[in-house]
Amino acid sequence: MFYQKTIEQIKTDTRPSSAGAKAFYNNPKYRGWIYQSLLLIFLIAFFYSIISNTLSNMAAQGIKSGFGFMTTSAGFDVLMSLIPFETTDSYTKVFIIGILNTILVSIIGVICSTMLGFIFGIAYFSRNWLIKKISIIYVETFRNIPVILQVLFWYTAVLTTLPSTRDSLSIGEAFFLNIRGLYIPRLIDEPKSFVVYIAIVIAIVAIFFLRRWARKRQDLTGEQFPLIWSSLGILLGLPLLALFIAGVPFHFEYPELKGFNFQGGINVIPELMALAIAMSIYTGAFIAEAVRAGIQSVPHGQTEAARSIGLKERKIMSLIIVPQAMRVITPMLNSEYQSLVKNTTIATAIGYPELFTVFAGSALNQVGQAIEMMFMSLAIYFALNMMISFIMNQFNKRVAITTR
Amino acid sequence: MNTDHQASIHNMNEDIIVIKNLNKWYGNFHVLRDINLTVKKGERIVICGPSGSGKSTTIRCINRLEEFQRGSLTVNGVEMIDDVKNIEAIRKEVGMVFQHFNLFPHLTILENLTLGPIWVQKKPKEEAKAIAMKYLERVKIPDQANKFPGQLSGGQQQRVAIARSLCMSPEIMLFDEPTSALDPEMIKEVLDVMVELADEGMTMLCVTHEMGFAKTVADRVIFMDGGEIVEQNTPDTFFDHPETDRLQLFLSQILQH
Amino acid sequence: MPIKEFKPLPAQPAPVSTTGPIAWLKNNLFSSPFNIVATLLILSGLFLILPGLIDWLFISANWTGTTQDACVDDGACWVFIRAWSQQIFYGSYPSGELWRVNLCLFLLAVVIYLSFILPINLRNKVAIPAFLALPFVCLLFLDGRYLGLEYVNTDYWGGFSLNILLAAASIIIAFPFGFLWALGRRSNLPFAQSVSVICIEFFRGTPVLALFFMGSVMLPLFFPEGVTVDKLLRVWIILILFMSAYMAEVFRSGFQAIPNGQYEAADSIGLGYWQKTFFIIFPQVIKVSMPNILATFIMVFKNTVFLLVIAVPEILQVILGALTNSKWLGGHATEGFLFVALVFWACCYSMSMLSTSIEKKLDTSHKH
Ligand SMILES: Nc1ncnc2c1ncn2[C@@H]1O[C@H](COP(=O)(O)OP(=O)(O)OP(=O)(O)O)[C@@H](O)[C@H]1O
Ligand SMILES: [Mg+2]
Repeated sequence: MFYQKTIEQIKTDTRPSSAGAKAFYNNPKYRGWIYQSLLLIFLIAFFYSIISNTLSNMAAQGIKSGFGFMTTSAGFDVLMSLIPFETTDSYTKVFIIGILNTILVSIIGVICSTMLGFIFGIAYFSRNWLIKKISIIYVETFRNIPVILQVLFWYTAVLTTLPSTRDSLSIGEAFFLNIRGLYIPRLIDEPKSFVVYIAIVIAIVAIFFLRRWARKRQDLTGEQFPLIWSSLGILLGLPLLALFIAGVPFHFEYPELKGFNFQGGINVIPELMALAIAMSIYTGAFIAEAVRAGIQSVPHGQTEAARSIGLKERKIMSLIIVPQAMRVITPMLNSEYQSLVKNTTIATAIGYPELFTVFAGSALNQVGQAIEMMFMSLAIYFALNMMISFIMNQFNKRVAITTR
Repeated sequence: MNTDHQASIHNMNEDIIVIKNLNKWYGNFHVLRDINLTVKKGERIVICGPSGSGKSTTIRCINRLEEFQRGSLTVNGVEMIDDVKNIEAIRKEVGMVFQHFNLFPHLTILENLTLGPIWVQKKPKEEAKAIAMKYLERVKIPDQANKFPGQLSGGQQQRVAIARSLCMSPEIMLFDEPTSALDPEMIKEVLDVMVELADEGMTMLCVTHEMGFAKTVADRVIFMDGGEIVEQNTPDTFFDHPETDRLQLFLSQILQH
Repeated sequence: MPIKEFKPLPAQPAPVSTTGPIAWLKNNLFSSPFNIVATLLILSGLFLILPGLIDWLFISANWTGTTQDACVDDGACWVFIRAWSQQIFYGSYPSGELWRVNLCLFLLAVVIYLSFILPINLRNKVAIPAFLALPFVCLLFLDGRYLGLEYVNTDYWGGFSLNILLAAASIIIAFPFGFLWALGRRSNLPFAQSVSVICIEFFRGTPVLALFFMGSVMLPLFFPEGVTVDKLLRVWIILILFMSAYMAEVFRSGFQAIPNGQYEAADSIGLGYWQKTFFIIFPQVIKVSMPNILATFIMVFKNTVFLLVIAVPEILQVILGALTNSKWLGGHATEGFLFVALVFWACCYSMSMLSTSIEKKLDTSHKH
């Protein structure tokens, strides 16, 4: 309990402290200003020496400054890119590819670690002894092993021992797993496929209105509506219907072995797989712990009170436990997601071309303008983390309790 | 349902709770030993006894917050067995008030009260609100409806908790030391509400150390020790002529304070 | 009226259906259809995996020998770990001088032990200076030049002992820095406060790997021309700054956990700001922050492995090097990684257990 409280406090902003204020009234006020002036002088001296040293070092080593390099061509190839790339493309494009790859692995990581975390966090409360023990073992094992080791393990000890392309493991000649990664079919649109996309949009809109209608009806008549099941039905049913009406306007491009390599389909490179698997499992363990703490923070009396007014177990979960637990879980999720984004930098160890590897690594090695390139990269990480913070704070506002 | 309830006030012959040879163990610890208790409709019962004697456990068995291993328990004609339907049916008839209020901190007072009517009784929102306001008025805090539990005093919170149970129009109310977490000046406001409730003919089982309340309100006082019912009697006999040495000792200890 | 004597009913044994092993199985493994299916699935999964795993790990594993040729059985080749064990723990530190590394580790253990057993009044006077002196004493010994010992260049330092000592030396020096930054963040001197906030947020928001990179590509530019700063020293500086930011936040929450009465009491006996902060507040902040300090230490300890990216020969880097050694090309990655994982797991898990127990103690002591 105590630990959770302090963790929460770490995340809240400084609250104005009367004690701190009092402490300074005891001292003559000018003292504070002397300290600050000393600090200022120190900082000026510090930065002056750093800057002058840097400038002279750069001049001595012939390092240029400025952002001129952004338009010159990179001259090296990138292992994987979400947009077309050629070696003659500029460093700007390398930068963008790096950002996209970072975002890609972050999104995969956030989704998978959240799923793992919630599954194992809830499993802790299972009445099944084995399930509970597995949850504990998962958390205690994976959060206590350095994540970079886990990445290397998946990459070196597991994925590079996969068979060669000729002896690929395959499912139904559509999915192939080999030393070059995972190959999956690619969905190709046909002229009429827009019908299905429209159906999906309609289904989402319909569910939105259905929810409003169901809520209104419950307010008026008290009758409840099986929202989850009907939403699921609409979400699956409508597009399926459209699919068949339009005569299945899609086909798959299957990966095929041509010569020594596969062509067509989507190739998930082993670097991405190793990174995504390791990050998800590692962060998932922390999220599971957060979920466990969150659920445990809801006193048992809440469940008992809910039972005593006759609520069903499922409703107790959704109306009483989850809203209160989420208040504890969301701030922790926020910091776990931010660590995840920062941890994607370990891709460098296996060469997955995310921002850090490809821009602050390969590109920097060629250009040599460490200061500009480092700060450009850092700016991206700060921006990504601010975005996560913003989204999670919005989310937190919706689940937070207004008082207490 | 309501008219039923009104009629029952004058009809105290009906057994509403029948407990026979109830035995319960926590692991190997024998907590409840052969509890036999019959409660009639409209009866007001106070349970007292030293700490750890199994008072809470007994009344928590009545709405199945605790399981028991041997014996039988029937509430309002429904037998308590390991069946979700029966348990739900019984919980609808039985309201409970806890020592630590257990209000839902993330919901307003009004939402705390309407939760049951809306999700269990499937009432329209406006109707649920009307019911909630009716009971909030009865416990004399209608002006707090839109606050959160954390903003209320302990006494107010406990009254809200009572109102929350009443909103489900239960046949039976269980109270587990409803005043022992309260400051002295707040105890009275909660007891007043309970006395009023008793006057209206609610069937009540009340674990409490408020002996004044027991004397004026109870039809029967039960003394428990070591997981069994030692003695039960009308308040007069109970306090003035205890039958066993154990109760005598207990009363003398209480009176010392 | 005669008084009856109350005879309590005898306690009966619980019915067998609710205690005993069968009841346990029923309640914990087979309580519902879902649980029955889950239990059976998990058990069959375990039966599928465990025998092979145990066989590979232990039964048909190769335990004895000194070269790769000793690995004849199908199982794990633990000979690999054995043959490299000195490197794994000490890096390339000269064999004859290993006592110096051991001495440092021993001193670290002693100082930690002291801080737990010393009475409170001595703890501040003895343990804190001992802690602060420790990194420099270790430096003197490991380096050796100034003690008249054989000089060992930092290039030869490495292995798991480096992970431990580096993490410990960083967190120790990060204590005063973190504390200062936390004070700065709490103070109402606007300039000091914003400087602290910027420092803390910068070092917390930057990926630690990026910091290491900056340490190797940017930091050299900051020093005067011609001055080369040792790589390990740069890493140490980076780790200290990184830790300080985290420790500052730990201390900040520690400050908030201290009852206001303590400040008022300190004021009332007329102590000055610094006296009050160091003699009254600081010890208490340390005490309530202990679980978080341990958590932060676990984090930095795990993060020392990231150093392999800039080729510092810490434990995992040694393993990676060994894997590419021409005499050991048999593909022992799994063994190597499992071993490192085990070592880290054992350390981090025991520290987190310690942290949980301290937390529990604090929790109860706060209730009284
Ligand atoms: N969950 C549990 N597990 C094990 N033992 C329990 C549990 N709950 C209660 N007990 C034990 O059962 C006995 C009866 O508890 P109960 O709460 O019914 O006592 P009580 O009469 O209500 O006491 P109090 O006046 O202190 O509330 C006590 O000895 C208690 O220690
Ligand atoms: Mg009790």
